Amino acid sequence: MMSRNNIKIFPGAMVCEESKLRGDITIGSGTIVHPSAVIIAEAGPIIIGDWCLIEEQVKIVHRLPFDQQSNENSQPVLIIGSNNVFEVDCIVEAPKIGNNNVFESKCFVGNKVTISNGCTIGAGCKITDEQILPENVIIFGVNCQMREGLDRPGPQTLQMETLSKMLPNYHHIKKPNMKKE
Amino acid sequence: MAYITGPDVVKYACTCGLLKPITHLYFCRYCTQIRCSFCVCHEIDSNFCGKCSENIPSSEARLKKNRCGNCYVCPSCQQDLSTRIASKGSANPEEAKSTPKKMYYLLCQFCRWSSRDVGIPDQSTVTGGWPKRENVHANRLQELVDSYKAIILASKKHQQDKEKKKRVKCLSYTDRTGVTAAAIRKRLGLPADMTHPMLKNRPKNPEPAKAKSEVEDLPDSIFTEPLNLAEIMSIEQRLLQPEQQPTTVDKLFPVHKQLSIKRSLRCRSCEHNVSKPEYNPNSVKFKIQLFAYYIIPEIRIVTVEPLRSGKTSELIVKFTNPTQHQTTITFFELDLDEVESVVTEEVAEVAESFEQSLYLQEKQQLSLPSLGSLSQPSSLLASRTPSITVKPRRIKEDLNCKIGIPESSFILLPRDDAAEYDDSGDSHNIQDDPKLVKWRKSNKAFIRLYVTPNEDLPLNSEVTCGFVMQHIYTNTITSKVENKEPQQYNHKVKVFLTLGNSVGCD
Repeated sequence: MMSRNNIKIFPGAMVCEESKLRGDITIGSGTIVHPSAVIIAEAGPIIIGDWCLIEEQVKIVHRLPFDQQSNENSQPVLIIGSNNVFEVDCIVEAPKIGNNNVFESKCFVGNKVTISNGCTIGAGCKITDEQILPENVIIFGVNCQMREGLDRPGPQTLQMETLSKMLPNYHHIKKPNMKKE
Repeated sequence: MAYITGPDVVKYACTCGLLKPITHLYFCRYCTQIRCSFCVCHEIDSNFCGKCSENIPSSEARLKKNRCGNCYVCPSCQQDLSTRIASKGSANPEEAKSTPKKMYYLLCQFCRWSSRDVGIPDQSTVTGGWPKRENVHANRLQELVDSYKAIILASKKHQQDKEKKKRVKCLSYTDRTGVTAAAIRKRLGLPADMTHPMLKNRPKNPEPAKAKSEVEDLPDSIFTEPLNLAEIMSIEQRLLQPEQQPTTVDKLFPVHKQLSIKRSLRCRSCEHNVSKPEYNPNSVKFKIQLFAYYIIPEIRIVTVEPLRSGKTSELIVKFTNPTQHQTTITFFELDLDEVESVVTEEVAEVAESFEQSLYLQEKQQLSLPSLGSLSQPSSLLASRTPSITVKPRRIKEDLNCKIGIPESSFILLPRDDAAEYDDSGDSHNIQDDPKLVKWRKSNKAFIRLYVTPNEDLPLNSEVTCGFVMQHIYTNTITSKVENKEPQQYNHKVKVFLTLGNSVGCD
């Protein structure tokens, strides 16, 4: 089912050569993909928006739940919005992700969870039940306590500026193959 | 540590009769006895705040209700709150060019709660002056505290009067004449003075709390509107603010951080410290650390053959010598009854005298030294009262497995920190009993033992065996002081091994 790799990178994006990209993936401008990050478009194409930060050992997998895998014809698209932060070693399989979300280290988001905007999934939290997370929800602690935040988490502009200066010094960067729209 | 030594399958018996893993035990080298947290005296050395590492004197700590004045914890997840800077431009457009003012707010890095969530205005100073909330019950609490204080004062006064009376009893005028106050009252036709002297000058009673029989009805909305769990506090969050106990999250206010303590542990029979931390809150080191882990050989189970009731299985255990001195390990049969009687004989005399003194103390309503020391450690040092030795209790452990006690003993070499880097191999010259010692390396020895679970043991039940280990304890205190040869003692420890569950035949 998996077609050959078709990676589209918009100018301004910084995708390291050592990252593992499989399937049909579009990466928006300003997005940083660290080496050893894994993005697998198994069930259909993945479109990643602008200014996302994808750190080391992050796994973003587009995989349908078992009950939806039967119909072969449809190819759902995983759209990841802008300004999302995927911290080290998080595993995200969500079918839809909005803007300004933070996935903290070692968290796990199952393939039945739809993420809206401004959510924070705390370090080590595992959410698998079928649900749509409302805006600005914060999940934290061993018991995955949930609370509603006042506003969305702030963007990591400073960190991303530093990274965009540092990364080309030590890693090979994939060349953008798309033109600005 | 629990990760390295756990699960607790090897337990050592403390002198007081409790079974604990070796990492939880202390060894008093003056009494040459094992002690545990249950049978030592706990004393508070210092109060400090774990966030700002500031030492706080005990009187000040009591005044502040054992909380730090500057640090706060998150009311939502109980983590430490950190102060964040937000720059705010002037509200006046004419002064917009002036430097933006720095404002501070509190933020929890863990659950992203911030003081702005509940509408606490940003502060202009780092330490804040964060608004204090009035306790609605403050007056009532103060009233109660005052009245109880007055009662304590009255009872103290009463006791003093009583003592005074006792002293002057023989000189009492009425006693000599044989006319007592009661007799005079009777003669005058007054009713007998039945009021208790304590009640006479009793302070004013606080107003009793009234129970309400009528309670406000629940609002209708509670039945009709869907419940939003994100707005309701959890039990932990509510109990963090006992004086308010709010129910909704918009009343989550930062809580002052609770202080931590450093405590020293004192052996009860010889009053020497077995553990004393360094005073500085930043330091995690100890001035005195007589942990059993550094003195008594550590035992670990390596392998055990499947255990079948009535059948003998091979058990291999590892012995490690933690000390700088060579030791010899000898095994003895464990008899819980006999062991207990020996121990009781040893301490019976001492315990009896202590018990008497304890009885007297209780009579005089003096606080126990151990309890008193908790609140006032300095007073204990000033006047040493004999501590109470706890009478050893019977070890409660069902042994359902026999262990073959080897007749020969074996030697454990001293610990050598450099041995790990020594590639030349072991050049020890020890005549080992090959039946007993399977293998050895530096200060470790792997010992082969044979265990036989009881015949009547049901399937799948936990097998426990025990033995007495005698090792040579080298006391270095006297040698250091008087330049003598270090004294050596034979020290016996009762060890219990939990070997796992028994299985069926073959």
